[in-house]
Amino acid sequence: MTIEKQDLRTGAPQRAPGAGSAEAAPEAGSKAAVGPGRRARVLPYLLILPSVAAFVALLGYPLYQVARISLLKLDLGELIRRTTVFVGLANYRAIFSDPFFWSVTVRTVVFTAACVGLTMVLATLIALLLDKLGRAMRLAVSIALVLAWATPPLTATVVWQWLFDTQFGVVNWVLSAAGFGDFSNHSWFDTGLSTFAIITLIIIWQAIPFVALTLYAGLTAIPRELYEAIRVDGAGPWQTFRSLILPVLRPLFLITAFLSIIWDFKVFTQVFLVRHGGPDRQTITLSLYAYQEGIAASHFGKAAAISMVMVAMLVLALTFYIRYMLRTQEDL
Amino acid sequence: MSRRAARLLTNLAGVAALLFFAFPVYWMFATAFKPTNDILSYTPHWLPVPFTLEHFSTAIHRPNFGYYLRNSLLVTLSAVLLSLLFAVLAALAVGRFNFRGRKAYMLMVLIVQTAPFEALLIPFFIMLRQLDLLNQLPALILIYFIFTMPFTIWTLRGFVMAIPAELEEAAMVDGASRFQAFLRVVFPLLAPGMVATSIFAFVTAWNEFLYAFVMMRDATRFTLPIWLSTFQTAFGTDWGGTMAASSLFTLPVVVFFLIIQRRLVSGLTAGAVKG
Repeated sequence: MTIEKQDLRTGAPQRAPGAGSAEAAPEAGSKAAVGPGRRARVLPYLLILPSVAAFVALLGYPLYQVARISLLKLDLGELIRRTTVFVGLANYRAIFSDPFFWSVTVRTVVFTAACVGLTMVLATLIALLLDKLGRAMRLAVSIALVLAWATPPLTATVVWQWLFDTQFGVVNWVLSAAGFGDFSNHSWFDTGLSTFAIITLIIIWQAIPFVALTLYAGLTAIPRELYEAIRVDGAGPWQTFRSLILPVLRPLFLITAFLSIIWDFKVFTQVFLVRHGGPDRQTITLSLYAYQEGIAASHFGKAAAISMVMVAMLVLALTFYIRYMLRTQEDL
Repeated sequence: MSRRAARLLTNLAGVAALLFFAFPVYWMFATAFKPTNDILSYTPHWLPVPFTLEHFSTAIHRPNFGYYLRNSLLVTLSAVLLSLLFAVLAALAVGRFNFRGRKAYMLMVLIVQTAPFEALLIPFFIMLRQLDLLNQLPALILIYFIFTMPFTIWTLRGFVMAIPAELEEAAMVDGASRFQAFLRVVFPLLAPGMVATSIFAFVTAWNEFLYAFVMMRDATRFTLPIWLSTFQTAFGTDWGGTMAASSLFTLPVVVFFLIIQRRLVSGLTAGAVKG
């Protein structure tokens, strides 16, 4: 969780380290227990009452409102006059018949898949690397990982833009000096694809540490004798990975992949701050699209419909996550 | 491949990973301390020598910086305290009592941790507007409170469960009331967990950009993330000022993170591996 990722990837709901998995549970001691006497019957309900009320008021109600607003024509005029104009599914018909909406949706899914795929593969490699490194190097790499993880997403976005700056960016200098051609004054933000590549880089830079450290923690739980045993049986590195490491890490893989999907799909700050959806609206994802239609253009009904599509897609991902957690977290 | 070659390759990969993750952070701090001439140079100056504090001075002397800092601290700390208060109560309930609906409640907390706040921007905007809370700091406090409460509950529950219930029972046998037993026995043992959890909540609220950007309209209501995001346009390409501001904004977060990091990772796996 988040405590793990800001999501623990800091960030917060920003990936911030936040959401999610934080099973920070220290060794769970006695399961919930004890309540001497009957009068203790009401007490737990009184204790959860404030938080339940807060969830209902600040999450349940907004969720109901986004569904309701998606059925309204709500532009600036209606907002100021405080009038309610029900239009049924008109907002949904409008977005579903708009080719731009579909390209944004496909783009968001592809972008999420790219971020999550790269995060998982690279994080696995780094976890294996940590396992192989000597003590000093391992500590150094771990600290570097925590630094990247802890950096606020906002700062990460600013800093990477400076690294990729057209005139004075270090990246252009290094690429030129390393003989990859003349990168002086190369602009990384001219095309949608290149801009997306930088955004992806910013996101995985902060996403990898959480996943890598989690997987590494899982790796250290594998007894050394098992490696020995499997090597005696003649297994090579690939077989060791497939038949020993992979099965042990499976639960961690699944949880971190689910959380990454949920986080990357809705990410706003990094995508927005790099070029505000540009160049030429080519890096607009669903969360930016909802923001632009709603807050910037005051088509709140349409924006709510776009938000509902996001909610629906996230619920789908969440279903798998919850089912998995229910199966594995017996003390939930 | 020989052993030595393999060792060398592993270490090279380690150096590459080290550079990839640490260099951007280093470069932020280094740039912040470099004179503008060294920053705007076609050949990078790898070390901040000579060294200047001028960019930090520029950054904190920007108009309204005092408001941004005050607002950030006010909003963040209020939200954290509020969510801690609500979460301690809830964590005690689920960590100490077996009651009908306990499992459903924990499931709700788990789901809520993944709530798509990016998709709730529109209803929050409309609701706050109708309550005349747009551009008011209490609105942000409420929002950050609900952002941080779910994982605060989830995490504190673990800490509560790690405290043996026998300790309280013993106190109660000795005549303490349930409340006294909590205050004198559980609370002191729970304090470290509360600190770690609060730091995490603090970082989440401190970093939040989207809601602060959308809901706050006047410069006197902005928080530090807004301050940071306005640099590029306002300064053109004053990378020195931008990096100095980024460094100031990042430093407390990184320090906090290094303190609690170990606990966080081990906590996660403690829960997840058992399946």
